Amino acid sequence: MDYQFHWNIVFQKMPEMLQGAFVTLHVSVLSMLIGIVIAVLLAIVKMNHSKPFCYVAIGWIEIARNTPALFQIYMAYFGLGALGIHLSPYVAVLSALIFINAGYLAETFRGGFMSIPKTQYSASKSLGMNSFQVYRYIILPQMFRRIYHPMTNQFVWSILMSSLGILVGMGELSGETQRLQSLSFRTLEFFIVAAVMYFIITKLVLFSSSLISRKLFRGEI
Amino acid sequence: MKILKNIPVMAAALTVLFSVNATADQLDTVITRGTLNCGVVLDFPPMGYFDKNNEPAGFDVDYCNDLATALGVKSNVLNLTWGDRIPSLISGKTDVVVGSTSDTLERAKSVGFTYPYFVFKFQVFSKPGKNINSFDDLKKIKVGAALGTTYETEYLAYAEKKGWGKGNYTAFKSENDAFLGLYQGKVDAIISTNTNIATKLQSKEFKDYVAGPFVPNYDDVVGLITKRSEVSWINYLNLFLVHQIRDGKLDERYNKHFGSDAPADLIQALRDNK
Amino acid sequence: MGSLFTPLSWNDTGFILTGVWNTVIISVVAIGFGTLLGVIVGFIRAESNRLVNTLLGGILDIFRSVPLIIQLILFSTYIGAIGHPLEPFVAGSIVLSLYSMAFMSEVFRSGFESVHKSMQIAARSLGMSYWQTIFYIRLPIGLRAVFPSWLGVALSVIKDSALVSVIGYMELLRTSDQLISRTQQPLEILIGVGIFYFIISYPLSLYGRYVERKMAL
Repeated sequence: MDYQFHWNIVFQKMPEMLQGAFVTLHVSVLSMLIGIVIAVLLAIVKMNHSKPFCYVAIGWIEIARNTPALFQIYMAYFGLGALGIHLSPYVAVLSALIFINAGYLAETFRGGFMSIPKTQYSASKSLGMNSFQVYRYIILPQMFRRIYHPMTNQFVWSILMSSLGILVGMGELSGETQRLQSLSFRTLEFFIVAAVMYFIITKLVLFSSSLISRKLFRGEI
Repeated sequence: MKILKNIPVMAAALTVLFSVNATADQLDTVITRGTLNCGVVLDFPPMGYFDKNNEPAGFDVDYCNDLATALGVKSNVLNLTWGDRIPSLISGKTDVVVGSTSDTLERAKSVGFTYPYFVFKFQVFSKPGKNINSFDDLKKIKVGAALGTTYETEYLAYAEKKGWGKGNYTAFKSENDAFLGLYQGKVDAIISTNTNIATKLQSKEFKDYVAGPFVPNYDDVVGLITKRSEVSWINYLNLFLVHQIRDGKLDERYNKHFGSDAPADLIQALRDNK
Repeated sequence: MGSLFTPLSWNDTGFILTGVWNTVIISVVAIGFGTLLGVIVGFIRAESNRLVNTLLGGILDIFRSVPLIIQLILFSTYIGAIGHPLEPFVAGSIVLSLYSMAFMSEVFRSGFESVHKSMQIAARSLGMSYWQTIFYIRLPIGLRAVFPSWLGVALSVIKDSALVSVIGYMELLRTSDQLISRTQQPLEILIGVGIFYFIISYPLSLYGRYVERKMAL
């Protein structure tokens, strides 16, 4: 093999790599939180069938689900730039992730809601609950249980896809790795460490998610 | 049955034949293959770009072709981004990268550099009316540069030293995107090479823009890069670069892309730096 | 004084079509190999004991926990460093196939496990051999059950094929990126690209949902 590994340069740059990892977490958490809010709105609008808004919701959901994430990021960064809207790489990646998360989660939420039989609503009513109570104690808890795992997956997906920031010069983990390797040209070393860091991050997220689900659902699933 | 007995001997002879092949270095490989795989960054006009027929063109592309002619092989120009340059060498996709690579000592731990083949100066290029007279005037405006370039590093180091931080800095994924960003108003000024800025000033889009101060005390001396271990290949490339100057090819190429003979200070710098 | 940027023209049609073709071909290759490997690995996982499963699962996990873009960069750099440089198409196809295999094996595994044990026992008692039950009972039933999920993975592979551009493969998005650099008309070009992906992906996803609904009934 015609390659000698030099690891010490990577360890010297560790603080900058960790800083990049922090930006990765930052952008994916934010894209999830805002994505969830928009997804709820989209799901409600789509289920209400009120004409013009319904089409907007369907359009959003279908475009988000049927075009590549890289396309969304290019669109946010270069496409909007042509219209005079200038987003920084961070905001461009963030808004693309929000757009996609909202589209996927809206369908998840809608599916979760539809999966609960309508009869439960009338049954709870006949037990004397009001609408708020039905949702609070019967519908939403069941729904939450059904959408919990798809939401975790979407979060992991956001972490992995934020790596596309590398292509617009954003300083998240991949972008930072790219910048650092261009100073010393130690491509393999830097990207191997980045891969390990992504692996650890996603495992930590999945692990804490299963801890939380065990606490929340007490083995009901 | 004599032939059968001879089989082990023939096999041994073949093995020797092939093991000679295994010690062939990059220079042999290129000549035997009959093609030079030459990497160029094609979004860095006038050094490398796509012409309107989507064909590679530019100073670096011409150097690839000159090198292939000297070797007596076909030239195969591969389009790289700044970040692709090293992976392409390590992975053997390219034999040499003619890609304006700054010859830092840190990088020379990883790749093999030839003598310098060009020297750039870094310059500020700004929107009309920004009045950038010295590098310190950049503090108050939005500045951009292409990701992973030496001028990005230089600017960020300067900004850090002055305590400006990265707040008003934007990294673009390529040189062209930096100019596009400046043109679209994403940033007020970019840092680029004097050669690129000179070319851009010729266009109708950028004719009113202003070429401002140079990055203080910095010449960007760039070399060809190859695998670090290919010493005899680097020897050949060094001689090729010397011949480019001696045989008047440098002047010819400079004329084609910059409209004049290579300036005396450039030739002097190339000689001094080698 | 000439313009720096040359606008989009009919001459670019061939260039764009090459990009389209490259996206289609690498997606087909990756989905094909990914499915084949996915069925095999999925079956092994459904059949084997806990130890083998944990081991295989751990390896597959790497493909799903490291961004595809980094897998691509690492694989193409590493394979070259050990002396076997590959064309971007080949390197991209290998990584994308393994990546889709990792997801598809999960899909198929659940498909095989969904075929009830009693059905296999019934098949065996009718005189079928082990391999006959696999080819005539478990494969057809298991595969049919997971068709919508399989389609979902396949669609995401088509979209993810855009990332192979980072190792220099001239697929549609990299082609358009190049045209944007030259023409400085990002909006027109990108909208065209978006429509292309949408036209391929949307009808297939509608079909997937239709099948899913039909199967639910």
